Amino acid sequence: MSTTTGTSSTPAGAASGRPRSAGRRGGDSGTSGSGASAGPAQRRPGGRDLLHALPWIGPALLLIVGVVFFPAGVMFFNSTRDISQSGVDRGGIGFANYVEVFSFPYFWPIFGRTIIWVVVVVGVTVLISLGLAQILDKAFPGRRIVRLAVIIPWAASVVMTTMVVYYGLEPYFGIINTFLVDIGLVTTPEGYGWTRNPATAFAWSIVVAIFVSLPFTTYTILAGLATVPGDVLEAAKMDGAGPVRTYFGVVLPQLRSALSVAVLINIINVFNSLPILKVMTGSIPGYDADTIMTMIFKYIQNQHKIDVASALSVVAFIIVIVIVAVYVRVVKPMKEV
Amino acid sequence: MKKTVRYSAAIALAAAASLTLSSCGFGGGSTDGGDAEGKTTLDLLVPSYSDNTQGLWEDVVDGFEAENPDITVKLEVQSWDNLESVIATKVQGGEAPDIYNGGPFAGFAADDLLYPVEDVVSADTLSDFQDSFLANAEVDGTAYALPLIASARALFVNNALLEQAGVAQPPTTWDELLDAATKISALGNGIAGYGMPLGSEEAQAEAAVWLWGGGGTFGDADAITVDDPSNLPGAEQIKKMIDAGATQADPGSTNRSPLMDIFIQGKIGMQVGLPPTVGQIADNNPDLDYSIVPIPTQDGSAFTLGVMDQLMAFKNDGDKQDAITKFFDYYYSADVYVPWVQTEGFLPVTKSGADALSGEEALAPFLEVLPDAQFYPSTNPQWQATDGAFKALFGQIQTKPAQDVLTEIQAQVDAS
Repeated sequence: MSTTTGTSSTPAGAASGRPRSAGRRGGDSGTSGSGASAGPAQRRPGGRDLLHALPWIGPALLLIVGVVFFPAGVMFFNSTRDISQSGVDRGGIGFANYVEVFSFPYFWPIFGRTIIWVVVVVGVTVLISLGLAQILDKAFPGRRIVRLAVIIPWAASVVMTTMVVYYGLEPYFGIINTFLVDIGLVTTPEGYGWTRNPATAFAWSIVVAIFVSLPFTTYTILAGLATVPGDVLEAAKMDGAGPVRTYFGVVLPQLRSALSVAVLINIINVFNSLPILKVMTGSIPGYDADTIMTMIFKYIQNQHKIDVASALSVVAFIIVIVIVAVYVRVVKPMKEV
Repeated sequence: MKKTVRYSAAIALAAAASLTLSSCGFGGGSTDGGDAEGKTTLDLLVPSYSDNTQGLWEDVVDGFEAENPDITVKLEVQSWDNLESVIATKVQGGEAPDIYNGGPFAGFAADDLLYPVEDVVSADTLSDFQDSFLANAEVDGTAYALPLIASARALFVNNALLEQAGVAQPPTTWDELLDAATKISALGNGIAGYGMPLGSEEAQAEAAVWLWGGGGTFGDADAITVDDPSNLPGAEQIKKMIDAGATQADPGSTNRSPLMDIFIQGKIGMQVGLPPTVGQIADNNPDLDYSIVPIPTQDGSAFTLGVMDQLMAFKNDGDKQDAITKFFDYYYSADVYVPWVQTEGFLPVTKSGADALSGEEALAPFLEVLPDAQFYPSTNPQWQATDGAFKALFGQIQTKPAQDVLTEIQAQVDAS
């Protein structure tokens, strides 16, 4: 039944991101003047090649060092220092800050909640987005308006969106609460304190996080749908596959690269998301609605422990890398269709 | 082989992306003492007390610059929520402001970052401060911060609700308060007897009202003693109020400002408020029939929580002492300071200011209780940590045993 003959020798998408060796350029000029041995040995450029390439890749390297490696280095450096309440560096203390992070009695519940947060938000977002993208992919009157409407949560500030929901959930004057009281779902006349209890506040945070993650994910998948060749779908139809069979057998495999990009970026984004939880669960005492990100924030904001916050940031960074590594291992998003 | 290359590429990509996506703030900008013309620049970092704050400071700065053309003042206004993290970030980056308006300052003094106040104000200005306020800004006998404003708390009582519930007199003791609040809560329709904001915004204030009202203490300049038997009666009384349903729902995570709005709307019987609350009621619900009475305590003795905010001067390069002195002397002169305090609705900390505002009717109930004011142990270097621990943890008293909460707060303070 494998009808994926449509894939030509140069498959589309990110699946063939391997750089070609320099020797293949412009036909088969097998013996180039540089005297370098042809073939696979050419993969490793020598020092001289690197020197020649430096002017071209230099700016990009500078940017990567400045934007990525330098802040990461500073963060790691801070995590091994003893920094006073008012921000004065009192010298190095090795890994004592990490000991404090892991000996914090609430660390593991917070860690577990972080994983739940990432998995639920990303999972539900992707599922809803797959459906949304299918709808937006069909031609219907007013499609352009609907596509624009889907972008709105992306265009609005996350804090603003969350604030709207937060105030809607306020007892006494929130419209969501008033609505629930009016239809009789909530019995107390002033409404229920959704944002005052860890479990409900966390659940609402997940709802908001899904809402603001939808546009990006939907558009990524929509772009993926645009690359599905029409003749493949036609072939599936000719072979008598129904819509469900077509979707799962033909369309979904083609969406692999788009989906993997959407999921990877979402995992990182959702894991590092602070504002939603900060607004929704900010007034709740204790650590029953915290994720690692809000804990970092609390270390800085409440306890002024910049050093411990840095240590937890490094831990968070490692966790993200591990999550991504596991994802890449299990799902193999880079595998060719 | 190919596979592993791909995996590591993917992971490297993700790592790079996660770093670029997580925002890394890094303080920039250089604060130099002066520019080519020999002008001095003062950086002023202040929190926002109300919608008027920014405009008030701008007026002060404009007036000051007109009198001192060789000094420029750069004003930065932050919200209270962000203020302490902003100042910590600035200090850490070597970008401390020259003048800073904030609460706890003992940590900065302990790190030897501040000028003693006698170095940055003239003797005349110094002698104009109320002595008790100045004493409250001393660490080991040296004052490192200038009082800026003071506030005292009092109980705001909704007369109409009390009458409906059949309570004749505003309560003066805890027992009366519990009784009155329970009766008001029983009116139903979402009305709460006592508004108890133990959420993160200002949990330490509501905690102090109860714990100190029962004879407790947070400690002094030498030691923080939150986990102290004298604090238990107050903590237990809070639980009693909550369990009796005399408060609004979820007091442990209710913030003060939104709850005060509910009081102003006439849905809460009694709540502890500040001088500016008077102005808020006048603006938003002038028809509210309310009165201001002293805060009820265990035995009915007079008590209020006094809060004082300070102005402090950071040493930085040590070359702006004269400019800072000029600014403080200008700011605390009666013509500048009195309108500032009056507009913000707080109590003045200077003798000349107190004389000028003695006739203010709105402030009278607060000025009355001010002699009985107790203050936070803000000269203790650990007060900042205590404050943070209260904000983050005290609200758990709604669900946890009182003793456990006090122990947890004490533990977090001791670990700081």
